[in-house]
Amino acid sequence: MLPEEMGKVSRRFRKIFAASSVIFVAVLAVSPVRDYLRSWKRYERAYVRFAQSRPDTKRLLADFRLEISQIWIPKMDVVDRCTTCHQGITEPSLQDSSVPQPFRAHPPIPHRVRDWGCVICHRGQGLATEVRDAHETTLAWEQPILPVQYIQASCAECHREDLPQTPRLNRGRELLAGLNCVGCHRLQGIERPAMLGPDLTNVGSKVSRQWIYKWLKDPRTILASDGSMVVNGYEDEGEPRMPKFRLSESELVALSSYLSTLQKEKPQPYKFDPRVVAAWEKRPDLLEQGETRFRQMFCITCHSLAVIRAGETRLIGGDIGPELTKVASKVNPDWLVAWLRNPQAYLPHAEMPRYQWSDQDLFTVTRYIESKLTDASLLTDVPNLGTPTPAEVQLGRRLFLEKGCGSCHAIQGVAPQADYGPDLSSLGGKTVSQLEFGKAKIPHTLVAYIEAKVTDPLSVNAAARMPQYSLKSSDLTALTTALLSMSGSPATAGLESLILPAERPQFRPAGAFGELYERYKCYVCHRFNGYGGTLAPDLSFEGSRAQRKWIAEFLKNPQTLRPTLIFRMPQFNIPMEEASVLADYLSMVMQTPNVNLAGTETKSFTPDMVNLGKQLYAVKYQCQACHTIGSTGGYVGPDLSNVGNWMNAAWIEEWLKDPQLLVPDAIEPRRSFTDEERTALTAYLMTLKQSGAVQAPGGTGRGQ
Amino acid sequence: MKARLLVALLLLACAGIAASCRQKLAAAKADPLSRAYDTEQDWNDPRRVISLSYQQAQGKRVFYQYCVWCHADATPAGPSNRSNLNPMPPLANDGAVFNSLSDDLLRNIITLGGSAVGKSALMPPWGNTLKQDDINAVISFYRAIAQPFYQPPARPGPQYSVR
Repeated sequence: MLPEEMGKVSRRFRKIFAASSVIFVAVLAVSPVRDYLRSWKRYERAYVRFAQSRPDTKRLLADFRLEISQIWIPKMDVVDRCTTCHQGITEPSLQDSSVPQPFRAHPPIPHRVRDWGCVICHRGQGLATEVRDAHETTLAWEQPILPVQYIQASCAECHREDLPQTPRLNRGRELLAGLNCVGCHRLQGIERPAMLGPDLTNVGSKVSRQWIYKWLKDPRTILASDGSMVVNGYEDEGEPRMPKFRLSESELVALSSYLSTLQKEKPQPYKFDPRVVAAWEKRPDLLEQGETRFRQMFCITCHSLAVIRAGETRLIGGDIGPELTKVASKVNPDWLVAWLRNPQAYLPHAEMPRYQWSDQDLFTVTRYIESKLTDASLLTDVPNLGTPTPAEVQLGRRLFLEKGCGSCHAIQGVAPQADYGPDLSSLGGKTVSQLEFGKAKIPHTLVAYIEAKVTDPLSVNAAARMPQYSLKSSDLTALTTALLSMSGSPATAGLESLILPAERPQFRPAGAFGELYERYKCYVCHRFNGYGGTLAPDLSFEGSRAQRKWIAEFLKNPQTLRPTLIFRMPQFNIPMEEASVLADYLSMVMQTPNVNLAGTETKSFTPDMVNLGKQLYAVKYQCQACHTIGSTGGYVGPDLSNVGNWMNAAWIEEWLKDPQLLVPDAIEPRRSFTDEERTALTAYLMTLKQSGAVQAPGGTGRGQ
Repeated sequence: MKARLLVALLLLACAGIAASCRQKLAAAKADPLSRAYDTEQDWNDPRRVISLSYQQAQGKRVFYQYCVWCHADATPAGPSNRSNLNPMPPLANDGAVFNSLSDDLLRNIITLGGSAVGKSALMPPWGNTLKQDDINAVISFYRAIAQPFYQPPARPGPQYSVR
């Protein structure tokens, strides 16, 4: 090769070499540049600049290092790198809403962020260090951040008990249990109850085929704006538990035909005492008297009625039992009398108490119901159905099972249906790829799926068998929260050990008291050692609080004790012997170890103590702000006019020491009384006695 | 010519890498109420719904258990004790009264009672019954529902934004 040729080649090589060196350097530089430009590093550098602009720079940067920071919770198998960008999350001085995100401190919560991390409550990807990966659904990361309105679902991860801090979750759980979702679905922490919908074994003896048809077509009727009412069942706070099934005309005919043939035995007409009938039948005030008794027995504590107030039709009353505005057009009159006399004979699981009826009361009240709580035009729009044909009955029987009716309603001889719907006990932990969205135009996330499904079951699956519930938007949010909380069995043993299980106490006393407790259904409204309703006062410590004599008097003649409360205790007409059995048991058994009844000697109270107590009550502590004595005072606490006949002195003394120790959710604040003051106040209160304290029953149903 | 092409390619590559490093920062703006732990209807204007943070929601819970009886005209049980008292306690959302009182003063009134700060003894002390967190929560709830709106006192130090 010639030298000049050599030079040419080497020049060309040199050029190639130079170019490839530049490319090589550039490629080498990609990695450090990318590393430098990582979004978490940008946020960290921004945090440094931000901290330098704050007065407490030194404190804010005390633990700062330019690296990924993470919280590791081995027990829960969780690694959170959120604090890499959310640098100020635990800095109390960065709480202000003017602090830019992602540096703002977390608002105060009961758990320390350093101990629990972020994703346990907020979900999202703790390991991710890119904004989108951490917060949203991307290809590799499936679990997005939980919207804050549903965040209470995360509390249930460990807290299986209802917490006062999570009202939305508690309401959702209440709805899941109350609407009997467990009839069809398996749900975490909610047991399938023994009592579902009404037993239909004998339903043909209670209601007509026309009524069944109408009810099945639409079990909830919207109250028209002009106040006209169409069916039993209104849109109101207390949802009718029966949802709407999308039934065709032939299905309605078949089901109504099948159900109307379910007549095990016809109720025998009750034979009223002829003297009562003769005396009352012709009296002009018969219906008036019936209505008065109906009110005095406080039926509306559990049942509601539509009334017109100021031109507006509203439902008033409770939601434990069904709404009764047109009940006489629904049920057979003989059935009604039999039911009132003994509800459990027709429906063993009925929550309705067995009243002690006199013939006169029963006659006037049933007459009132039959002539006033009725609507002749209720069933006029039902087509002529005729008598059930065997073909209709057979189809109806098949439909009963196909539509899943047996999940809520029992019929003797028909096997109960369980697990008719899918298992939802781990719904809240499902990933997007496990969900079927159909043609729904909604974001493909778990939250949107649950929202759509509970709002309209057909929206995500046109062939869904689930019936239509119509819930208020706040209840939809609550229900979605509760469903999101169903995260299935814990993934690690460590997590399992963190769970605080829900306690489900039972209180089923035996003996004579137990019988009466069942008869009058005390537990539907009152709570006993954690079991029972919350409508009325907790009676777990009634024996420590009230004197036996007072309890017996009260049971015979209930009256209001607390001016601000709507009085709701029905008058059961309890006979003397039963009242003393109840009073004996309550006063002997339902006691708290915190009150020593023998410890306070009322005889040792002197007039000086009483005078001091009176002064303390009226001047120093101004108890009259909340309590009434005689005719003056506040409405918040109970009326104390007769407290000397009502409460035990030892209870009052203990109460004044610490009200919340005896009744955890008591409103009364704990004051710092000296021992002398406490004794003086007790001595004064024990002198407050009304002679002939028994007032006329009823009449004080405030707000009703 | 070739060199120029190479440089251009290199520049393009760099630009591409830099662009891929930048992620979309703007997250979807959701309904403000869906970002709320709880809500409360404005007492004066039923159409306005106030969104509450966790702390304010806890304040709401405490308020509706202990305070509502005397600091509201409608209570869960119906009648209110407010008109029954002399002097009449202020409504909880009365910004004209509460906005000018500092958090510290409110904390003292609630903890020690009205008589401790020279106000009516009808306001009992809650320090033994409520935890400090509960009291702070109630104050934050009062601030949230105040009419006219509550403006927190300005904090020292310049404010800074990332963008």
